[in-house]
Amino acid sequence: MKIKRILIANRGEIAVRIIKTAHKMNIETVAVRTSVEPNAMYLSLADVVFDNSEDTSEIPVFLNIEKLIEIAQKTKSDAVHPGYGFLAENAYFAQKCIDNKIIFIGPSPDAIYKMGNKTIARKIALAAGIPMAMGSEGNIGNEEEAITIAEKIGYPVIIKAASGGGGRGMRIVRKSDEMEKMFIIASKEAEKAFNDPSVFIEKYIENPKHIEFQILGDTKGRIIHLGERECSIQRKHQKLLEEAPSVALDGRLREIMGNIAVQIASAVKYYSAGTVEFLLDSDKNFYFMEMNTRIQVEHPVTEIITGVDLIEQQILIANGEALKFRQEDIKLNGWAIECRINAEDVQSGFAPDPGKIEKLSLPSDPCVRIDTGVQAGSSIVPSYDSMIAKLIVRGKDRKDALRNCKMALDKVWIKGTKTTLPFFRMLVRNPKFIDGNFTTAFIEKDLDKYYSSSEYEEMLAAWLATKLFVEENLMDNSINIDFKKGKEMSPWLLNKRINQF
Amino acid sequence: MSYSKTSIKKLYALSSENKRYCFSQPLKHSIRIGKREYEVKLKSDEKYGTYILWKNRKYPVEVIRSRQNKYEILFNDISYTFTVETPFSMQRMKVLSSGRGKAEKEFLKAPMPGKIIDVLVREGSNVLRGEPLVILEAMKMQNEIQSPVNGLVLKVLAKPDTNVMKDDILVEIKVE
Repeated sequence: MKIKRILIANRGEIAVRIIKTAHKMNIETVAVRTSVEPNAMYLSLADVVFDNSEDTSEIPVFLNIEKLIEIAQKTKSDAVHPGYGFLAENAYFAQKCIDNKIIFIGPSPDAIYKMGNKTIARKIALAAGIPMAMGSEGNIGNEEEAITIAEKIGYPVIIKAASGGGGRGMRIVRKSDEMEKMFIIASKEAEKAFNDPSVFIEKYIENPKHIEFQILGDTKGRIIHLGERECSIQRKHQKLLEEAPSVALDGRLREIMGNIAVQIASAVKYYSAGTVEFLLDSDKNFYFMEMNTRIQVEHPVTEIITGVDLIEQQILIANGEALKFRQEDIKLNGWAIECRINAEDVQSGFAPDPGKIEKLSLPSDPCVRIDTGVQAGSSIVPSYDSMIAKLIVRGKDRKDALRNCKMALDKVWIKGTKTTLPFFRMLVRNPKFIDGNFTTAFIEKDLDKYYSSSEYEEMLAAWLATKLFVEENLMDNSINIDFKKGKEMSPWLLNKRINQF
Repeated sequence: MSYSKTSIKKLYALSSENKRYCFSQPLKHSIRIGKREYEVKLKSDEKYGTYILWKNRKYPVEVIRSRQNKYEILFNDISYTFTVETPFSMQRMKVLSSGRGKAEKEFLKAPMPGKIIDVLVREGSNVLRGEPLVILEAMKMQNEIQSPVNGLVLKVLAKPDTNVMKDDILVEIKVE
């Protein structure tokens, strides 16, 4: 093994995830301590911690290419794993690593660049004969051009940022008189988010399913797929729940789509782990959307049904080794579901709710896998994403996985911030979801409420409110609350008062 | 409060959706469902924090906010707001509310702290329910803050590239 020590250019649960596999492979890991999270869990697991907590610049170190290269050199790391987000899909960073003789655990800079630029990716896919939604050939210069092209394709259309991702810089346009306004908004948003105002236009596929294929390729030219993931449960293009496999695919469609995914990856001589995203309409027509050139948040569901450790494969491939299995060796076993438990307030439209995790208790069961970067006492900080933990549940089939998921969700205990738990507890009881009858429009269109509770739960909450009222007002020794005027107490401190009763 | 503490025989908890729960006073530590009484226990320990034990199951609870007789309770990760009323205050409320009409102005507030990226309306614009008015960025996500009503924009308080706190008023709308 050439790789002896990996610098993890990331934080949170993915840093923990990478460290676990590296240790299994007897590879050392280096983690970076930041001023924002000086006591984060991932630091306690790494072999070496590089202290960068003096650096208080607004740009996180995980986005600072020069600094990361310097840290890799100082800590004698021979490889860098970028995780997801931050610099994971930055071709320049990958190239810089190579230039400094550091192994970048990911695809080639060329593949990152080509797939990262959506207009180039479209051209490559078009040339390879990959099915795609009708769209503009390249970037759109101005509003007039946008209107002309949209008329040709037919409304509704979607404007997308060429350098985009994660739903930013995207706008759906249904009528030509909306185009001018939407074009400007999308272009502005793209410039702010990605430093690149270029946008292109595609036919908007109404109510599709989001189906993506996991790809693995080695540097010898072998590329295989590891089946699909169903990621249609998303809100504003942010995935909330993923599963593998998908109810929408049978063996034949899986083979067709899987082969096409491999074909796209081959077109850029792809190696490492990657994901090819498709939209699947109700008539089972599918359209290539984009390729993500990194490990995905939702990779565990694929690991569960294939038994392949994707991080291990990334490391082996980066080390120059050939894939040990062929397409026919990949068998899908059972069903896996992942719920992203985020610090978000479902009752306020999934608004982020950062804060300190006061209490945390997670189920331990053979059918449950938890990927997390926090423990009781950790904080979910506003500067990073709001993920608390990924709850990954397995079952022998979808019904079994759903049953296990329902059970596991009731065992998750988090205090300190509001979470997406109420959403999942509702979702796993929703008949349409249970039937597999859902598309990317499910949350916005099929749900009138993002959570549900039994009347008994509300009654018990009412009882508690009444009890507090009694304690405060009707007892001889009533405790009077002393709210400092204009200053709100931390709600979680009030908790202490209950203990006095 | 100007009533004798001992004369209160009942208390009402009114939910924000105007559901009414009635409890006898002194408050019992049990709730009747059908013919059976189930014990309710409020407990706290090091591992779980504060919880309610009911029918052999633990439910996490927290008091998010309390002001006068208004309580926001987090029960099993869902928040509920109640006002607790005595029979006297209930009576008074009924009298007061009978003469009141519908609110005419709608104050669009920031649902979370963040940075204003863009303001999509001007004073005097007509807006439709669900129309995006302000783009607010929080925790790397851009959020469209939509109009909750049909109406006329009276005032725009949100300014691009400024930071706002939760519940800051962004836009004032005259409801039509």
